[in-house]
Amino acid sequence: MAQTYKLKSHLCRFCSFYPLGDERIPAQLMTYSNDKPDLEGFPYPLPSKKSEYTCSLKIGDVEWLGSTSGLTRYDKNAEREEDIIMFFSAPRDLHDNTVKAIMPQGESVWVLTGTGAVFIEMKPLGAQEKAELLLSETLKYVDRRGMVSQRDLARPRNLESRYSHGHSDNDGCFTAGFAIGEIFRYAVFKREKGAEHPETIEAKKVATRAVEACLLLLHIHSRGNGFVARTYLCPDEPVPDDGIFFRISGGKAVCLETTEAKKRGCVGVEVDASAEIPARLAKLYTDEGYSIDGIVYKADTSSDEITLHFLQMYFAHEFLGCDDPELDGIIKQSVKGLMGHIIDNGYELHDYGNKPTSWAKWSKDYFETDFGWVDACLNSAELLMYHLVTMKITGEEGRWRESYDYLVNDLGYADLCPKHFERLYQASISMNFDYVEDIMYGDHMLAVASFWGLCTLEKNEELLEKYRQGFRSWRTSLEREHNPGYDLPFALSCPDAEIDMERLAEWFYRMNVSRLAAGVSLTGRHDTPVKTLRTGIKEISVLLPPDERFISKYDRNPLSFVNEDSGGSVCVESCYVYTFAYWIGRYYGFFE
Amino acid sequence: MNKKIHLIGNAHLDPIWLWRWQEGCGEVLQTFRSAVDRLNEYDELVFTCSSASYYRWVEEIDPELFDEIRKLVKRGRWVPVNGWWVQPDCNMPSGESFARQALYSQLYYYEKFGDICKIGYNVDSFGHSGMLPQLLTKGGMRCYVMMRPGMHENPEIPENLFWWDSPDGSRVLTYRIPESYGVSGKEDIDRKLPDYMQRAENTGHGMMMLFGVGNHGGGPTKGDIEYLMQLKEEGYAELEFSSPEEYFAQQCADKLDLPVWKDDLQHHASGCYSATSMMKQLNRKAEYWLQNAEKWNTVASKLSNLPKATEDFGKAWKEVCFNQFHDILCGCSIREAYDDVRDALGYSMKIAASEENKAMLKIAESINTWLDGVSDTVSCNARHHCRNLKFPRPIVVFNPNSFEVETSVRTYHPSKRVQDSDWNDVLFQNVRSSRSNDSHLDTVFMAKVPPLGYATYWLWHYDSEFTDWGKSESGVAADSFTMENEHLKVIFDEKTGGIKSLVTKENGAEFVGGEFCVPTVIDNSEPDTWAHNIFKFDKEIAKMELKSIELIEKGPLRAVVRVKHIYGGSYLTQDFILSSGGKTLRVKCRILWQEPLSILKMPVTVEGENPISTYEIPAGLIKRPCNGEEEPALTWGDITAGAAESRKGVSLITDSKYSYDCPGNTLKLTMLRNCIFADHYSDRPAADFSYTDEGLHRFEYAVYPHSGEAENSGVQQISALFNSRPVTVPAGYHKGGLPLKKSFIGINKPNIRLDAFKYCEDGSGDVVMRLCETEGKPVKAAIVCDLIDAGFYADFNRLEVKTFRINRDGYVKETDFLEGIVED
Repeated sequence: MAQTYKLKSHLCRFCSFYPLGDERIPAQLMTYSNDKPDLEGFPYPLPSKKSEYTCSLKIGDVEWLGSTSGLTRYDKNAEREEDIIMFFSAPRDLHDNTVKAIMPQGESVWVLTGTGAVFIEMKPLGAQEKAELLLSETLKYVDRRGMVSQRDLARPRNLESRYSHGHSDNDGCFTAGFAIGEIFRYAVFKREKGAEHPETIEAKKVATRAVEACLLLLHIHSRGNGFVARTYLCPDEPVPDDGIFFRISGGKAVCLETTEAKKRGCVGVEVDASAEIPARLAKLYTDEGYSIDGIVYKADTSSDEITLHFLQMYFAHEFLGCDDPELDGIIKQSVKGLMGHIIDNGYELHDYGNKPTSWAKWSKDYFETDFGWVDACLNSAELLMYHLVTMKITGEEGRWRESYDYLVNDLGYADLCPKHFERLYQASISMNFDYVEDIMYGDHMLAVASFWGLCTLEKNEELLEKYRQGFRSWRTSLEREHNPGYDLPFALSCPDAEIDMERLAEWFYRMNVSRLAAGVSLTGRHDTPVKTLRTGIKEISVLLPPDERFISKYDRNPLSFVNEDSGGSVCVESCYVYTFAYWIGRYYGFFE
Repeated sequence: MNKKIHLIGNAHLDPIWLWRWQEGCGEVLQTFRSAVDRLNEYDELVFTCSSASYYRWVEEIDPELFDEIRKLVKRGRWVPVNGWWVQPDCNMPSGESFARQALYSQLYYYEKFGDICKIGYNVDSFGHSGMLPQLLTKGGMRCYVMMRPGMHENPEIPENLFWWDSPDGSRVLTYRIPESYGVSGKEDIDRKLPDYMQRAENTGHGMMMLFGVGNHGGGPTKGDIEYLMQLKEEGYAELEFSSPEEYFAQQCADKLDLPVWKDDLQHHASGCYSATSMMKQLNRKAEYWLQNAEKWNTVASKLSNLPKATEDFGKAWKEVCFNQFHDILCGCSIREAYDDVRDALGYSMKIAASEENKAMLKIAESINTWLDGVSDTVSCNARHHCRNLKFPRPIVVFNPNSFEVETSVRTYHPSKRVQDSDWNDVLFQNVRSSRSNDSHLDTVFMAKVPPLGYATYWLWHYDSEFTDWGKSESGVAADSFTMENEHLKVIFDEKTGGIKSLVTKENGAEFVGGEFCVPTVIDNSEPDTWAHNIFKFDKEIAKMELKSIELIEKGPLRAVVRVKHIYGGSYLTQDFILSSGGKTLRVKCRILWQEPLSILKMPVTVEGENPISTYEIPAGLIKRPCNGEEEPALTWGDITAGAAESRKGVSLITDSKYSYDCPGNTLKLTMLRNCIFADHYSDRPAADFSYTDEGLHRFEYAVYPHSGEAENSGVQQISALFNSRPVTVPAGYHKGGLPLKKSFIGINKPNIRLDAFKYCEDGSGDVVMRLCETEGKPVKAAIVCDLIDAGFYADFNRLEVKTFRINRDGYVKETDFLEGIVED
């Protein structure tokens, strides 16, 4: 591994918004007058067109430049190249982009725009401080009985206006990612501060709760057959019309009427719901006064959830299981149930009526279909990873090994692993799109989870090389993101890989201090080329720092030419995007 | 599984080979006429044809025939392929040349036929650079048809159908023709068709069989067509008259798992990178000159009322593109053809020279060079620009490179003093000129010029009367056998005339690890012009004999040691030039060569384990094993060796050569290859042959020692400067709006190079910038160009070429070689 990189404290933007007329806005701001900047021969690309700059303010060596399309901060002495020019735009940093005045207050600035004022402070923040800040936001505003994906708000930028309910299709997947980050946080604290340190104990509590929330999804349906729910809702929460939902009552679960259920003709279908839920997991809802009766769970679970659950269970077993035999026992029981379900059902996750779910299929038959043919390479890696994780957690081989060997030797799944992009490319030629247009960005995380697991657990050198080759085949695509959450597991899995630590540092430094969604103004940026792909999708030609682009989870093309955050403009997202990457990096010594 | 045999009717057309272009043009007309007739006679037949230049010939000479072709194209019966001007050599054109091949051709196809070519198709080209997948895809082509090398030449390359990747991540689906691009005649069909069927059976995918008389044109004959129709009717095989486009579409609709290849496709004709040196020199010179001239035209027309010369540059580039045809650039056509080439590329270079001169003078005349008192009455003699004794004359030095350069430049008069734009003294030296007239002296001075910019220097006349000037420090010292400066110390071997020691002073590293700059004569009697079936040129005949070594120049700026070697009736004179502050040893060569069937090589040897050779290839670089096979390269080749912590290497940089070999730790530049013109398989009836490289050669190479691997050494910039040298322009005294020194571009990363700065071909006035990553490292770069109100960031993948189109407001779109014209 490369030398440990020292992440320093870094200036982060804190913006406080005030509507026009708010008495907290200094009166002088309304009449404040700035000089128009002279930008002739300016040595760096500017986010706004030069002729759009209307006002400027110098505080020490830092110059603030206001334009009709946003606010630019220029620090010619900035230690890092990417910090020399910073761009602030609406709606995340400003009310709107027409800057009328910039007034100093100490090192900070008041910025008056057409529809309001913003007080911008640039404060140094350590990478770990940022992780803790984000975590506290997530625990306070996003957490729902341990599940963390995002929480909708009634009013934009108002965390206190969050709804009490809410769900995500991918609660399992996102919460598992969060749990992995928190498991590594605990592992770092335990190593550095000792197991009995209050912060370690607190970290363990947070990680354990997240793991329990994930494990509950493997049991909440009470089917007793190893199935996994996407998410679940308590009885008093509204059921959204976006999938297949079952309500549990009296040992049975009935499919509720939704558009999708009607389309599939499964409204009213009954399934068993008599299996017992481990009491420790049930506490997540019983502590809030609910019982299993009336709980609604979402079915038709996809492989995304399954893959992150397996990886999460592996790390939970490794780092939490040793100190918590009860939890470890539940993990073992859960992993056996899920793996057994998949094997018993011909490498598919089976839902009501013993039918496979739409997107959790790893069977050879599925791989022969048009969709499955392109999915096959990633899905084969996922399935193989599940086997290795199961063997590792249970300490057993037996049927798991038998099945694994069958997949490797008889079905050739290990050989399929590196072929994803060949197949995607072929599809792109036949359908006349650019292959990058068809990359599912959520697949990046699935590939990382699968190959990281495979490369960590496989000891057979020949197979290990195949898995590394599989991971390398994703490298070009992953590199589009320069995301440490992908690059660090890649470096751990392929030791000869070179990763650009400076680029990764930029990601940590420039990550927003809040996951509060708002959106940015990419449209009209003068320093950012845009390209149009074959099907008309637009991408920018440069990966902007995270605080100048939209907020998203590990599921979106960061080069997309769009202004909106992935969760919309009225929500707050989970911090796991940052904490997952940061704590892995800390644990494995990439960062100080 | 689709195991069809796609019958691709075609005619391989060499516009120049064993004939001159006029005959090639006639051959194109006849073949196109014949193909139209056959298409009219046989409803099933589809005809495939490449090369935009051929279509343009037909359009110009026989518009009625062209109209018929257009209609057939519309109906899918006639299928244009390969969005390039010709089927070029695919190793020696620069990355920018490939961009121009696509630009002019695809826009032509788009204009004439309403669509671009989606299939790359170079069925006869003699090897294919590893960067081609990117160069094809950025020209709108995602599938590729090639044939050479054949399986007997390189069995490691996948057969039939495979994915071919370049380092930036680009990928083309590639079909490797099994044996021939011109199956024709019943016997030939009977012999080859079963092989195609067997291949389809073995691979599980379809195959293409290219049929039709070729080389000197021809195309599908009635006999071929009818026999294939008969076979089809008899159900002999699943045959379909088809096109490459249809073939690839059908294969992609199937579920294929194909092998992936991530390297060059070499070798077929290893002699082609060195045969006919004149051709290579013209190509290199024209490519760089046009690139630079167009940059200056863009700058000057933005600054002034100088007209845009986009159309003229298009004409000039098309000649360059045409003469990159594989049988032309590879030097394997008849001697007379090269008279035509010289004229054609002369036309291109005349345009380059003319536009460059206009642009530079236009810029120069806007520079404020006014000196108070300079217009006072003086004698006529003193008024003469070069004879003004009271005032220094302004010389403007233009740097076309996108990085700052500090290098020596020349003007054609002697000087007494040279000062920069801030009136600081700079190093200079009066050196022997090429003339015998007047003083016999030129001035060489050290110029530091900003990226894509200029700097004005003041040169005082030789007879100026002053003494109070501060001489700049010089680190150059030399005698007959030793030269040194601040960075390098070079010791010549008095017996061989080679270099026996080359040390970098900063770390004391010795770079001579064996044979070094000792010219070596290789026997070339066996290989034909192409060197078919011969991959190594290693039959050494002799070392050239040292005739003399002498120190011919020594001054504050530079020292020159002249080494003369002889062999038979030939001689080689090398002027080894070491300049103050220089990190390279520049070598000016003059060769009179009269040895038939011979090769002259220049070796450098670096000691150490794990030697690896690295070469510049179009828009990139590549590492190759040190196995002694002759390798194509663009402006530089490199040998690097040694333990991981102390790797060191030597690059050989040239202004006109394309061929090297590297057995073990020795890299050898092929300086010339004197074979018989168009000597195919060495069938040599007694005759008074003409030889490709006999006569006088003038060219330059440079030796660049460095620590670490080649790609991290900075050789890319050094070679760019070696081939794109600053130009000096004497200016007048005038007032103007431009300062004495100015840059027109800023790029903040050394591994990003500006290859094109031009106007968009659609006449919109938008400007196009093409930038390349040169070290194989992903990078985020900032580009600033006030001239067009543009400043932007871009991410580059390894060796990625990106094209940007900037509108009048400075907003930037990323496009490809087609400049966003087609997509609009």
